[in-house]
Amino acid sequence: MPIVTIDGRQIEVEPGTSVIQAADLLGVEIPRFCYHPDLEPEGNCRMCLVDVEGFPKPVVACATPVVDGMVVKTPHASPLASRAVKGVLEFLLVNHPIDCPICDKAGECSLQDFYMHPDYGQHPSQVNPGEKVHKRKRVDLGPRIVLDAERCVMCSRCVRFSENVTGYKELQFIRRGNHVELVSFQERALQDPYAGNFADICPVGALLSRDFRFKRRVWKLDYTDSICAGCSTGCNLRIDHFDGRIERLIPRRNPDVNRSWLCDEGRLSYKTLDVAPRVKHPQQDGEEADWVEVAAAADSRLRSATLGRELPLGALASASGTNETLWLFRRYVEAAFPQHLLEFRLARETEAVRERQDKLLRRVDKHPNTMGALHLGFTAGMGLEGLVDEAEAGRLGALLLLYYPPLVGEDSEETKERIVRLLQLVPESVVLTTHHLPYLAAAKILLPVAAWSEEEGTYTNYQGTVQHASRAVASPSAARPAAEVIGDLMRHATYGRPETEPGRVFAEIADRVPAFRGLRYNELASRLATAYPPEGRMPYGQDGFTGR
Amino acid sequence: MAKTASRVVDVRAEAEKHATGLRGTTGTLAGLGVTLRNMVRPQHVTIQYPEQRKPYSRRFRGVHVLTLREDGSLKCTACYLCETVCPAQCISIDAKEVEDPRIEKAPSRYEIDLSRCIFCGFCVEACPEEALIMSREYDLAVTAREPESLTYGIEDFTGRSEIAAYGAGFRPHPEYPLVESYVPGERKGEI
Repeated sequence: MPIVTIDGRQIEVEPGTSVIQAADLLGVEIPRFCYHPDLEPEGNCRMCLVDVEGFPKPVVACATPVVDGMVVKTPHASPLASRAVKGVLEFLLVNHPIDCPICDKAGECSLQDFYMHPDYGQHPSQVNPGEKVHKRKRVDLGPRIVLDAERCVMCSRCVRFSENVTGYKELQFIRRGNHVELVSFQERALQDPYAGNFADICPVGALLSRDFRFKRRVWKLDYTDSICAGCSTGCNLRIDHFDGRIERLIPRRNPDVNRSWLCDEGRLSYKTLDVAPRVKHPQQDGEEADWVEVAAAADSRLRSATLGRELPLGALASASGTNETLWLFRRYVEAAFPQHLLEFRLARETEAVRERQDKLLRRVDKHPNTMGALHLGFTAGMGLEGLVDEAEAGRLGALLLLYYPPLVGEDSEETKERIVRLLQLVPESVVLTTHHLPYLAAAKILLPVAAWSEEEGTYTNYQGTVQHASRAVASPSAARPAAEVIGDLMRHATYGRPETEPGRVFAEIADRVPAFRGLRYNELASRLATAYPPEGRMPYGQDGFTGR
Repeated sequence: MAKTASRVVDVRAEAEKHATGLRGTTGTLAGLGVTLRNMVRPQHVTIQYPEQRKPYSRRFRGVHVLTLREDGSLKCTACYLCETVCPAQCISIDAKEVEDPRIEKAPSRYEIDLSRCIFCGFCVEACPEEALIMSREYDLAVTAREPESLTYGIEDFTGRSEIAAYGAGFRPHPEYPLVESYVPGERKGEI
């Protein structure tokens, strides 16, 4: 395999690797606008010029494949490359409006970062601000994206994304020279269901998210790595939050799951957490209760309604819970109730878990952990529908339900009606949930649990990949992680003092469940897919220079 | 170094040698003299605050002022530079979209908790548009304990008559003229 030397450091790479990829592997920064690891290289921005020994002129690192014995010098080591890159950047900035104070990209903008670097920028401007070519600002490109044509550097990442990744082909450049401008097809709103990605891949502030527009300066945000819980694909994402509120979700690069993309539904899924009011305190028979009392009451009422009457407990945990939660749920039900029906299906999760909704990322099953439930010993048994039948026949003593409203879309009316019917039919019911929902109103005991983004744990995606999600924000009031609540129930049923800390529960799972064998929680938690913008570099504020 | 014997002074004997009938009163009378002399001197140092106030320097860092455009709208575009630079972290801003495409962005909320503010003036120096300057207003005593009582919003920074009464204070580029109409306030004072 070819061995290449970049700035005096050697690396052996696969044949066909480009110089910029080899530099990324070495951790040598080469500035770039148009190159993106998940898009075809085009070499139009000329920002990645490097000096290669034996070549008469600097070449673009993104479109030059390495050959054995190649000696490359980046702008950090070669004055020639540095001068070339400075010239390119000066050209790109000729018509830049320099409206950073009102630009949402400021703080994570490649133009800003590169200009401030002594090897690429910091040249004095030779352009009179009055002579700059002005273009359209605040162009409406539909509900997701706002275009500012003046800030565009014509890197064509968005054009290539729209053409090669989603195939909607909605963006193109028009005119020439100084007057090149990005336009959407017939100036219509973008139809692309992945349009949110334009704001991520745009290296400057030209394409901006409408949802995040003027919400918060990026250097004010805190970042937490997580997994999208919108469907069974399990896209890697980063939760950006401020002051305990989620401000935006952006994809993390994981070539095996979602590459660098995220669908718009997943991107906006955090908003569904606010649609219904949250359950803030435990409720027993319609009245607020204290956690200690209510946990004891829940356990004893469930057991007297089943054991006393020789009837089974219907236990249904929706596949939106983490692996740790589902595991404790199963252990509690199996240990405390000799007769039980352990279910996880609300509708047709098991059939839909691998079913694609489109050709890119979205899947039909809107539960993030269907595969995890199957691996943890939940079976595709009678499901919710079967439990309703059992209850109608009077063969169900009580119901224990762990229910999370879906983050993307809603459960079907049929499912909701079945839940209502089930809660009406059973004499005792304990529901662990996040939101006050009309179809859960008949629950005898309601226990508030942490929603997605408020608890730590692992999810298993449709491929069977176990992925770790960290806790980003705090739960409202008395809501607690579901694993802890189930731990409380177990304690009251005198099954010792179970571990409820996710890392320890995971160790227990890895010990006992074949699908999890050999996995370590700490390794999963540290296996960070690269945060998206700009590749391999920490966004401003994470390198110790933070505004907060 | 050899130690030399010091001269021993009998302090008490020395004092009695100088004692007269007015022993102990000369110092008091000298002090009274200073008081009397200053009482009749024409120069007054003490003023009748708060009815009378002293003029402060043009560089005085008092309560902030949000300056206005000629049409009366805020100059501030909510770039958050002041919030970012503030060492006391007492500024909090929310931004909103505005119709005018040349402006795009404006603050929907601009609050400074003056009870936490250290009046360092960094916010004013950070402002790229001189949208935030300081006034010469300094008396901020309030009778309520709640933090809100000293948290000033947009109306407080633009609509109070005190701003004009005290005049503009610190701004980073005094070589540029301050347009009078930009400084809000009911009564135009000395700027």
